[in-house]
Amino acid sequence: MASIARKNLFEDIPRFLVAQAGIMFAVSLVTIQLGILKGFSRSTAIVIDYASADLWVASKEMVSFELTSPIPADYINQATQTPGVDRAEILLLRAGRWRGPDGKLSPTRIFGFNPDGQLFAGWKLRDGELNAIKQPYSAIVANGVQKSLGLDPPDERTGGSIGGLPVTIVGTAEDVQSNASSPFLFASLETANAYGSAEVNSSINCTRNAGGDLNCVNSFKNRPIGEKVGELPTPKPLSVGDPITYILIRAKPGEDLPTLKQRLTQALPETQVLTQTELAALTRNYWEARTGVGFILGLGATVGFIVGMVVVGQILYASVADHLREFGTLKAMGAPNSVIYRIIIEQSLWMAILGYVPSMGICLALGQWTQVTRGIMILIEPSTGIAVLVLTIVMCVGSALFAVQKVTRVDPAIVFKA
Amino acid sequence: MTAIGFNRFFHKTAALDSTPSQALTPVKEAAIVATHINMLYRNGSEEFKALQDVNLRVKAGEVHLLMGPSGSGKTTLLSILAGLLTPTAGQVCLLGEEITKFSRSRLAAFRLQSLGFIFQGFNLFPALTACENVEVAFHLKGIQGPQARHQSIELLTQVGLADRAHHRPQDLSGGQKQRVAIARALAGDPQIIMADEPTAALDSHNGYAVIELLRELAKTGGRTVLIVTHDPRILDIADRVTDLEDGKIVPH
Ligand SMILES: Nc1ncnc2c1ncn2[C@@H]1O[C@H](COP(=O)(O)OP(=O)(O)OP(=O)(O)O)[C@@H](O)[C@H]1O
Ligand SMILES: [Mg+2]
Repeated sequence: MASIARKNLFEDIPRFLVAQAGIMFAVSLVTIQLGILKGFSRSTAIVIDYASADLWVASKEMVSFELTSPIPADYINQATQTPGVDRAEILLLRAGRWRGPDGKLSPTRIFGFNPDGQLFAGWKLRDGELNAIKQPYSAIVANGVQKSLGLDPPDERTGGSIGGLPVTIVGTAEDVQSNASSPFLFASLETANAYGSAEVNSSINCTRNAGGDLNCVNSFKNRPIGEKVGELPTPKPLSVGDPITYILIRAKPGEDLPTLKQRLTQALPETQVLTQTELAALTRNYWEARTGVGFILGLGATVGFIVGMVVVGQILYASVADHLREFGTLKAMGAPNSVIYRIIIEQSLWMAILGYVPSMGICLALGQWTQVTRGIMILIEPSTGIAVLVLTIVMCVGSALFAVQKVTRVDPAIVFKA
Repeated sequence: MTAIGFNRFFHKTAALDSTPSQALTPVKEAAIVATHINMLYRNGSEEFKALQDVNLRVKAGEVHLLMGPSGSGKTTLLSILAGLLTPTAGQVCLLGEEITKFSRSRLAAFRLQSLGFIFQGFNLFPALTACENVEVAFHLKGIQGPQARHQSIELLTQVGLADRAHHRPQDLSGGQKQRVAIARALAGDPQIIMADEPTAALDSHNGYAVIELLRELAKTGGRTVLIVTHDPRILDIADRVTDLEDGKIVPH
């Protein structure tokens, strides 16, 4: 009995292929939308996930990872002295305007941290060495953003600058860029601080002309590009008054985190203390809610699902209509309705599986490609894969129900009509 | 039932049956009893009386022809006798059971168990091979796997198509297709075979082969065979003929 479903399906191969193309389109659309959502969400806090701190001390005003106010550098000492703290490290987040080798500006996010530290930089390096950022004015770039920084070819090392200070790329960090953020650069505390505070000099000269109108000239002065590092002032070490962004805390073994959290909040006024998981979740929620990306991509996935449903429904309906006489014959022969349902549902399951498998392959390949070329991850975790499989099956079997209706209404007496 | 047994039975009951509507209660010897069948087709406000007070008795083991001009209601009557169409009025008893009282699912089960169909248009499954077409009937009857395959091949051998068992209908001639359909109708050995114009779509040579086959299966299997036909050659194998005209039985 089983073979009727399969053979009816494969009887007309061109039509079957067109059908499968439609299903693959729908499945891919759903997968890509879900994958982008997952990949985006993951990326917004991936840099936090790579850290191995127990607690993060942030400004009381912090809204999400990259949207926060500074706290005084001096807090690092107090944090270190707080009982229960095993280790405390500074993390600096600065914004910078990057001028690429091509002369074009691009925003960047600069992370400053101690390369000898243990809590922040858990990510893998694609090339280069972490210690290389100890050299003044050198930085590690997140992989995938080279193009937006005008680094072409992507392994171009020099030629970029921030606020007139040159930047030498000494390494590439794998899978760390947030899709919601400017390109990431990782540098030592001193270098990051220097980049972050390297203001462009600008002056406004105004004169009043004869008519009494104010005539202003805004002139910018950048440090000349290509100046040798040796001629630059060595970046200053952080001083007590400098603003920092986060303090990463490792608790002593066996320390109760909620208690330590309280202790730190009391010791460090105007701060909030979060566990690493809390900070990551907060940041992901922020981006999903704030950008509406969840809604938009969810909408895309829903549209994909509906398109798939319509495509499969249409094809099954047409197939059933084509084989109506055969279904009528089965009914006349005495086949119970369940047999007929089974044939149609089996047909829809074949379509689901044969649409799903290649689509997943395409999406995985596409995900690889976007990750390598654009740094945008289409994250297809096993759970996403299973979810899409379930959706595909629901989609196909659901639309089979349309087709089933047509058959149950078929009058077995049609079998005698020539 | 053997051919001898069948013949004896036929002679014994023939005398009882001079008027078709004589006995209305299901008699064991009557495989098909239809009583006061009326069929009214309604198309919107238009009504058409396709059958008017039709009474019919078909004895077990006989080959019974239903003849008549086009539009006289033969197919309608056959559909009703097969339980595929519900009459506007009247009763149908098959093998002693009043099927007009059955629910749809019970009717389906009854057809599966006791009826085999042969259609003018063959109604084979085009995507399946000849053998698979016969197997479907076995599968429906709960016989699966190698057993179904084996019995299908056996039936195809009986209808002379052993060598074509693995061809699809598109690669068979009309006569061969009809023989596959006959093999399928025989699967599970139903007691009643109903055929609507089994030779109408065939040329005379193929038609003749099919008639021969029907004769054989009627005479050797002891089955009841009801054939709707225009084909006068089938008269040769008929035990009895009922004529239908304008939805009414023509008295002989
Ligand atoms: N579904 C229907 N609705 C309305 N009228 C119908 C329907 N089916 C059949 N009829 C009419 O009932 C009459 C009998 O039809 P039927 O098909 O039983 O004739 P038939 O004797 O089998 O004819 P043929 O020899 O041409 O096959 C015809 O006049 C036909 O037009
Ligand atoms: Mg007819």
